[in-house]
Amino acid sequence: MTDSSISRESEKQSWIPAPAAGVISLFIPGLGQLLSRQIQRGLLLLASTVTIVLLLGWRINLLAHREPTIWAMITKAIRRRPFFIGLVVVCTVILWLWIALDAYRGARFGGPRPRGGLKRRGARVGIFVLIIFTFFSLGWQISEIDLVKMIAELPDAWPPLSRVLWPWAAAVTRDTQEVSAGAKILVPCGENPPPPPFEEPDKPYMVSTPTCGDLTQRDANSRDILGTMLNLRGMRFKPNTETEIWWEDPIGNEFQIRQKGEYVTVMTDDRGSFEIDVVMPYRLMPPSMRGRQIHQIVAKQISPVGGLKPSEALLLCIGRMVETIFMGMMATIFGIIFSIPVSFLAARNLMSGSPITMAIYYVTRTILNIVRSIEPLIWALIAVVWVGLGPFAGIVALTVHSIAALGKLYSEAIENIDRGPIEAIQATGATRLQTIMYAVVPQMIVPFVSFSIYRWDINVRMSTVIGLVGGGGIGFLLVQYIRLLDYRSAGIAVWFIAVAVALLDYVSSEIRQRFI
Amino acid sequence: MLEIKNLTKVYDDGTVALRNVSFEVEPGEFLVVIGLSGSGKSTLLRCINRLIDPTEGTIIWDDEDITALEQDQLRHIRRKIGMIFQHFNLVKRSSVYTNVLSGRLGYVNPLSTLLHHFPSRDRKMAMDALERLGIADQAHKRADELSGGQQQRVGIARALMQQPKMILADEPVASLDPVLAHSILGYLEKLNQDEGITVFCSLHYLDLVQRYATRVIGLRDGQIVYKGSQEEIRRMTDEEFKDIYGEEAVRVGVGKSEEADT
Repeated sequence: MTDSSISRESEKQSWIPAPAAGVISLFIPGLGQLLSRQIQRGLLLLASTVTIVLLLGWRINLLAHREPTIWAMITKAIRRRPFFIGLVVVCTVILWLWIALDAYRGARFGGPRPRGGLKRRGARVGIFVLIIFTFFSLGWQISEIDLVKMIAELPDAWPPLSRVLWPWAAAVTRDTQEVSAGAKILVPCGENPPPPPFEEPDKPYMVSTPTCGDLTQRDANSRDILGTMLNLRGMRFKPNTETEIWWEDPIGNEFQIRQKGEYVTVMTDDRGSFEIDVVMPYRLMPPSMRGRQIHQIVAKQISPVGGLKPSEALLLCIGRMVETIFMGMMATIFGIIFSIPVSFLAARNLMSGSPITMAIYYVTRTILNIVRSIEPLIWALIAVVWVGLGPFAGIVALTVHSIAALGKLYSEAIENIDRGPIEAIQATGATRLQTIMYAVVPQMIVPFVSFSIYRWDINVRMSTVIGLVGGGGIGFLLVQYIRLLDYRSAGIAVWFIAVAVALLDYVSSEIRQRFI
Repeated sequence: MLEIKNLTKVYDDGTVALRNVSFEVEPGEFLVVIGLSGSGKSTLLRCINRLIDPTEGTIIWDDEDITALEQDQLRHIRRKIGMIFQHFNLVKRSSVYTNVLSGRLGYVNPLSTLLHHFPSRDRKMAMDALERLGIADQAHKRADELSGGQQQRVGIARALMQQPKMILADEPVASLDPVLAHSILGYLEKLNQDEGITVFCSLHYLDLVQRYATRVIGLRDGQIVYKGSQEEIRRMTDEEFKDIYGEEAVRVGVGKSEEADT
């Protein structure tokens, strides 16, 4: 208070008395500051308050849009999200009052930098800390951050996550051998049920009793009406081996029978025999199939034989990874080839000769900037429409983006070229070609190589994801595996991407370091 | 040897850099041109080997008009005129050796130089030139790894490779400290005196001009405002210098003696 006279001298004078500023800011936050000639502060506070109130109104409206009055809406919103709405409302109220107080003090003591030492300065800054805190709370809600869910649902995420992190169980596979025997079943029972199958010595054999019956049906309430119970007896299978029971319908569809949610399996005894009761399964048949049909019940023993071999997923991932790296390489090479002439057109020092060349310069620059600001993924979407799914679409997308990016980088390298050495080499009596070889090329080669490697790096990185939109490469495989919930195979693809990108990163930085 | 008649240069933007400049350069002299930045010194030097094409006037070199030459003939003249620059104008990323060798470009077969091949005679010559300037041990370093003084010596070596009759030096010591300035000008003086290479040099500092010049011309706003002999320049005071120069005369302030020439 004692230093107020000094500060008033040194700062801009308020247009209105301090109490008036406070009262005005109480009605329209920030206006008081504006009128006491703290223009920036006033505008900032006004904009912040308006934004906060609008956002808060939007959230309340989302929570309680059915309530008739504003008051009812607010109370309902607080009831539904007590912590969040309460917090923001309290913050807003405090902020509102604080702004009024700030307007009063600002008008009275003047200026954004009061001379009251650290304490008062803290109070003037504190208002912005409160604003940021309020925005943070709003942002938390708007972006649906839910840490509780993140922790609570970790157990659900763990199985797929662990498969992605360590997918190598799916990287190898073994050949399988199938031992099976089946029995024909007539549906429904009729006059001539099929005879037991012909028995051959040394071959697995299974009989069913009876050999006819009804399939499980579903009533109007989707409740199962169980079908006929079949007693299966098998012999001469592999001893002590798990045996799966499958059903084959007349049109050749096979499926493993489930009962009470579990696949039906049985262990064979020491002599390779088994006995099990199986209820005939539910099977929806096409309406065209009327009358009696012959189905088949089959017992299968599937056992691995031979050594380990790479799985299909692993082989596919390797193939696609190679494809990916070459996609990146081809796109980079095409990008370099096309961007060199473009970069000459986009170099100011080369094009500043006449108005026509300057116009070409501006047009080229503008096109490059537009093309560059469209992400490769979006170019890929366009390219897929253009040339169809596959790696070529990815190459087209990456090439287009590379031309724009490299064109700009190269043209800047050309613009930064040092005229001095050119002059010096010309002065020795060198020809034009010699001047280019001895004065221009040595200056260009470092940025040229460095930018090209950098772009190769980006292109391989991008080509791993460009498959997500159909652009070929390993991303194409990855997105398919994820959609099939085949997390192990997806994990293999992720590993390949990670290793390839890391390796490339290392190699390219090594090359650049050696070179520069 | 070199006769400049009524030389005028007007740049595209209308700037008049040289206005009707006439003078002669005698064989074996150390001619210094003084003048403020922007007085046209650099333009004058560059007109002589036509790095800049003059607008009007003639430049006679051994009875040939340089301003009228075609590119091919011009290259033949250029290789007889070495040039060194304020900022050395070395190709920074090339080796010292390559920079020096490039001084030979006007003499050798253009096709073989595209593959960076030079005759063994030229390669020996490059090492000799580096030896002479005391930087033979730096030959395989990159040019930008050298200090300023060493880089200017590379610049001189490159000019020497041309076996020049004349060396144009555009403020050769303006970006060096005073001791190095004497060292570099000492080399030029030695070439001038021992081998009779004519030196045409622009300089800034009065004491350097007094120490090295055998004749001086003063340039202001593109016009010659002063011509003086060695004796006249030696007797010149700071005030007179200021009159020609148009502003306060600057002295380097480090000993003018040959001891600095190491």
